[in-house]
Amino acid sequence: MEFVLEAKHLRKEYQDKLALKGLDLQIKPGEIFCLLGQNGAGKSTTINLFLGFIQPTSGAAFINGLEVTRNITKVKEFLAYIPENVMLYPNLTGLENLALFSSLAGYDYQEAEITDYLVRAGLPADAVKRRVSGYSKGMRQKVGIAIAVAKHAKVLLLDEPTSGLDPKASNEFSELLLQLSAQGTAIFMATHDIFRAKEVGTRVGIMREGELVDVLGTTDLNANELEKLYLNYMH
Amino acid sequence: MVKSIAQKEFLSALRDARFLALSVIVLLLLLAATVVGLHSYYTLQHEREMAQEEVNHHFANSADRHPHRMAHYGSFAFRPKSSLSFLDFGLDSFTGTSLFLEAHKQNSSNFSQAQQSSSLIRFGEMTVAFILQMLIPLLIIFLCYGAFTQEKETGTLQLMLSQGVSLRQISWAKVAGYSQIVALVVAPALFLVSLLLFSQSGFNLNADLLLRLLLFIGAYLVYFFIFIVLSVVVSALNKRSSTALISLLGIWILSCIILPKAAANLGANLYTTPTKAQLDADVHDEVAQSINGHNSADERAAAFKKQLLVKYGVGSLEQLPVNADGLVMAASEAQSSQVYQKHFNRLTGIFQKQNRIAEYLGLLNPYLAVRHFSMSMAGSDFAHYVHYQKVAEKYRYNLAQTLNHIQATQVKYQDKTTRLSNATWKQIPPFRYSSPGVGWALKNQINSIIALLFWLFLVVVTGFKLIDKTKIV
Amino acid sequence: MNKFRTIIKYEWLNFRADKGLLLITLLTLITGLYGIYYGTTEISRQRQHLANLSKITAHDVENMKVQFPGEADAGDVGYYHSTFAVNHPDSWASLSLGQRDINPYYIKLRLLNLQSQLYDSDNINPLKVFTGNFDLAFVLIYLFPLFIIGLSFNVFSIEKEQGTLPLLLSQPINLSLIVAAKLSFRAFIVLGLAVLLSLTGMFWAQVVPDSRIVLWLGAIVLYCLFWFAVIFLVAALQKSSAFNAITLLGIWLLLTMVIPALLNVYVALKKPVPQALALTIKQREVVHGGWDKPKEETMNKFFSLYPQWRDTTQIKERFVWRWYYAFQHLGDVAVADLAKDYQNRLKERQQLVENLNVLSVPVNVQGMLNALTGTDLLAHLAFMQSATRYHDALREFYYPFLFNQVAFTHNDYAKEPQHSFTSTPQISLVWSGYYKLALSFLFTFIVGLFIFKIRFLNLK
Repeated sequence: MEFVLEAKHLRKEYQDKLALKGLDLQIKPGEIFCLLGQNGAGKSTTINLFLGFIQPTSGAAFINGLEVTRNITKVKEFLAYIPENVMLYPNLTGLENLALFSSLAGYDYQEAEITDYLVRAGLPADAVKRRVSGYSKGMRQKVGIAIAVAKHAKVLLLDEPTSGLDPKASNEFSELLLQLSAQGTAIFMATHDIFRAKEVGTRVGIMREGELVDVLGTTDLNANELEKLYLNYMH
Repeated sequence: MVKSIAQKEFLSALRDARFLALSVIVLLLLLAATVVGLHSYYTLQHEREMAQEEVNHHFANSADRHPHRMAHYGSFAFRPKSSLSFLDFGLDSFTGTSLFLEAHKQNSSNFSQAQQSSSLIRFGEMTVAFILQMLIPLLIIFLCYGAFTQEKETGTLQLMLSQGVSLRQISWAKVAGYSQIVALVVAPALFLVSLLLFSQSGFNLNADLLLRLLLFIGAYLVYFFIFIVLSVVVSALNKRSSTALISLLGIWILSCIILPKAAANLGANLYTTPTKAQLDADVHDEVAQSINGHNSADERAAAFKKQLLVKYGVGSLEQLPVNADGLVMAASEAQSSQVYQKHFNRLTGIFQKQNRIAEYLGLLNPYLAVRHFSMSMAGSDFAHYVHYQKVAEKYRYNLAQTLNHIQATQVKYQDKTTRLSNATWKQIPPFRYSSPGVGWALKNQINSIIALLFWLFLVVVTGFKLIDKTKIV
Repeated sequence: MNKFRTIIKYEWLNFRADKGLLLITLLTLITGLYGIYYGTTEISRQRQHLANLSKITAHDVENMKVQFPGEADAGDVGYYHSTFAVNHPDSWASLSLGQRDINPYYIKLRLLNLQSQLYDSDNINPLKVFTGNFDLAFVLIYLFPLFIIGLSFNVFSIEKEQGTLPLLLSQPINLSLIVAAKLSFRAFIVLGLAVLLSLTGMFWAQVVPDSRIVLWLGAIVLYCLFWFAVIFLVAALQKSSAFNAITLLGIWLLLTMVIPALLNVYVALKKPVPQALALTIKQREVVHGGWDKPKEETMNKFFSLYPQWRDTTQIKERFVWRWYYAFQHLGDVAVADLAKDYQNRLKERQQLVENLNVLSVPVNVQGMLNALTGTDLLAHLAFMQSATRYHDALREFYYPFLFNQVAFTHNDYAKEPQHSFTSTPQISLVWSGYYKLALSFLFTFIVGLFIFKIRFLNLK
């Protein structure tokens, strides 16, 4: 099987609005696809359709060759998700949160392994055993990354993952994505950040009013050209 | 500025479909409780009036009897319902309704509603007071829990403060807005209640009744106000709406469900109620030390008779101008009822001590204070019940003594066969009971009034101080 | 199943770390223990009072012996001497006091007419009985639902509100499994506490260990499960925590207060009890009328009921005790129909409640527990019947003395019949309660399942 993430004429309508107008997309293992677009362009809708949180009006989303709506639980074994704002159980520690989610994903790690995942994701070692209620947004985001990494998923779905992270953390995050991609993980990332998209993306898609208006290979053009192009589409 | 915030709260509550639905339900329940209360009031009142009339009629038209037989035939005191009791049944369903009044013996007041019911009655009764005491506070909590937390969650609080309004002004404005809404919910029911009450008496304004009703309504308004301010304060102290709501519901459960029950039970555990059997035995033993009207061999009766002979300067009881039997009976009745009075007062004293715990807890819990006050204004509290028992006992005593007097003056010594016609009985006034005045009722309510005022003071002064210190970010 | 256990484990960690939840659990435990303490003290006080009655009777006999130093006329003894019909509590009574605090648990009896004595009440503080009992049944029936609501009102909504839902749902796990595991965890805590408290109560009260242990625990468990079904139903609507809290409290209020109060009104309207006052008035008229009737007429009427005394001496005196007791008894006979009507009316009331209590699960369960512990109205009516039979026995005992004009000696006091009655449980009522309780549970659960299926298809 060639594509681990695939959309076929994926369409989502709400009563008052057409959110996604028949998306066709294929992503291979190791590829990083960055989706650019304004708020309300349909980026989150696309991710939610891949996650099976919402049902498509027509068309289908596939993860690892399985249609999402028909294999709602099974497909989640292959994907990991980092929301824009990672929210965790405030009364549990970072360690316990990671242990819980890994365990639900079918991985029962030893404490040392969990700590290792958290520290590798950038969480300070002394924070590992503190309750999440005292974490900053950035720290929660790192736990979210650790959860995704520890799941060894084939597909990583990211919704504005770097918003709220400081530049240093963002850079570390980019590094991590490149590492994962090198290991064969397919990454689908919705973002506003043109420069980051250019930096990590294999391909960049531009979405406008529910429509994928262009897909560009990042090797073909530099960041400034991409920005110009993007702004062009937006007007 | 303050006015416009109040206006905003008022309008947004009116536009909240869920709140409107709840208000309508509460209002409907309130109206239903009024109608149900009135109906049950009329039924019970009618039943008791008929019974009282029947026994009065029997008494006045009784067969020819010896006066002392008449004293044992006795009479009944059926407790009439007080006019306002349809608003708050209070203890009425748990107190006896029929008291048999006879010579020498103080009977228990029997046939309470509760004794004739399955345990269903223990779940509470559908009265106006129940809704005002328990449901309206819940409605208030629902209305006010988001007063500040919602503004915090949406960030409008900062915006409002940046316009130059103080926290205190916002709080007062919100309290004012919510008060208007609560008034809108309860006003129609209270209006109907007043209308029904006064149409009942043909709009003849009875000052006592009017005052009772006004105090009744006034106490509830204070109670609602306390709950409104309390809810606003709790909302100000919380960051999130859900925690504010849960805290307020916790307060409601504690003060309206758990504390009242624990208070009543604690009282009963601290001060043990003697059984009626024990009380009767104690009275019997003590009375045995005094004159026994039915025992001619009694030493004290003999001494009493000797005194009579000396007093009237005659040689034998037959020569007395009065019937010694009647006098002995009268003396015996006087002594035994004095003993009974003492023990009855001891018993009510124990009950009062038990109940006082709940009264004092009113300081911790405005629900208890308003419940107590409400029952008192409705004439259905413990004090009114004791008042009825005392009036009935006084009537019993007077009836027995009147009949003893008749025996002493109209029947000869040792004569057990003479029968007097009912012309004699007709002259004896039947039992009548009217509730004591509102002033009397208020005298028993000092604790509740202090508790309500204390709470009013507490929420207004301390509550607003707490609001001043609330964290905005 | 593994994932189920994982969720349970982390729910436990969450629970342990949440001070609020720990506090309400502790509070429930304390109120439960207080309920047990209160119930047992109340019943042991009743037991002590009942034990005191025999002392009062003994004292009374002493007084009688002083008042009548030699042989006495049995008529005097019957008039002055009193004894008691006693209603001993079942060993289970302290777990659910029912109506035992309202209805007298003893009746003082003299040889006089029964109907003027049967309804005498004990000294009751009306405020206390108005407020009600804080027994274990109250804790389980009223407070446990609140405990369940407190633990679970946000069982699902909190995942949304604290934002953990997306991350949770991106794991390969079924949503129904999450809800089921979370509810199971709470049910485990609640049922554990309920069973623990019940067993503690049984142990503390030293109940007779019979099949009722199973019946009690079954009723409590099913009752708690009913409330979890309610939680499930409301959670399935997928509203905010605040909405859930208000709705659940509203349902609680409806079931434990509003519906019972309305039912009470309905029962009072449908089955009024005018017999009580009629009975008490008529009884007095007839008994006192007895004085004025020709003795011949009275005695003949009495002899038609008790032909064995027909041949005893004819009455010529102005007053004689056997005539007095004859018309006392005829007073009872004259109102026998009314008395029966009165008791039947009370039974009809109880029956009506039995029929209607399907509308409120708490009322049903309260009825079950009261029936189980022999503290309901029916148990009291059974006691009144037993007291009536005792009064018959007393009359049978005194009649030979009166009619054969045998003197009553000091030794005869010891021969006087004694009364003892212990309330018995009404197991059949418990079973019909079970049937209704199971029905309520299933109904709520299925409706919940239905809503869950519809609402959870479209998440987010």
